[in-house]
Amino acid sequence: MSIVTIERTLVRNKVVLRVAGRMDAENSQAFETHCESCISEGVTMLVLDLGDLTYVSSMGLGAIVRVAKQLRDGGGEVRICCLTGLVRQLFEITRLNHVFPTHDSVESALMEG
Amino acid sequence: MPTTPQPLTLLAKADALGAVTRFVREGAREANLAEARMDELDLLVEEIFMNIARHSYPEGAPGVVSVMYSVSGPGELAVEFGDQGVEFNPLTISPPDLTLELTARPVGGLGVFLLREFADSLSYRREQGWNRLTFEVSAKP
Repeated sequence: MSIVTIERTLVRNKVVLRVAGRMDAENSQAFETHCESCISEGVTMLVLDLGDLTYVSSMGLGAIVRVAKQLRDGGGEVRICCLTGLVRQLFEITRLNHVFPTHDSVESALMEG
Repeated sequence: MPTTPQPLTLLAKADALGAVTRFVREGAREANLAEARMDELDLLVEEIFMNIARHSYPEGAPGVVSVMYSVSGPGELAVEFGDQGVEFNPLTISPPDLTLELTARPVGGLGVFLLREFADSLSYRREQGWNRLTFEVSAKP
């Protein structure tokens, strides 16, 4: 019932992770492990395309914050794009959309900065 | 007529989350809750259950959780979680500071806040050694 899929794409030498499905207590760790693997390879910027993420709980949000802190410590950052539905609502009510400026498209997230 | 099935009783372990979610969804279907609200319902269930699983009992010694729902009418669902762990009233928790920027933001601490945001009502009582936390959701117009 609870499945998250993480697809990694390299766009102009930047890593885009398309996170789809549900990110809850059972599988937030899979997301973190994937991100940590990117960080250990030297990736400093992760674009998270959450357009097909239908559900995220506080543990999923915590995983995103933890990864972003790790990247920030190394001078990097997380960019978020394509929020919809409940996930967008959660980013808004927790004001995480202010912590991570959000973008409407992968292209837009890749361009800034 | 109100419906009150047998409670689901299981160990407060994270891997039981799926079973709890499925059980509460049965109640949601009985209440004819809109499909669009199922994810919000799952969120409420996860935040409460995981809080019990992670914090209520000593690490490595999980106790029981009982979950019960009632349907008081079309679109009216109440769900009660009970545990015998350390006394914890989530309604007394201060809201998180949502204005903090990334470096100052704690990784956790949003669960109770989300409960308050998504439940139509939330009540707690301590009863004979049990924490009893009940939330209600109803069909939105």
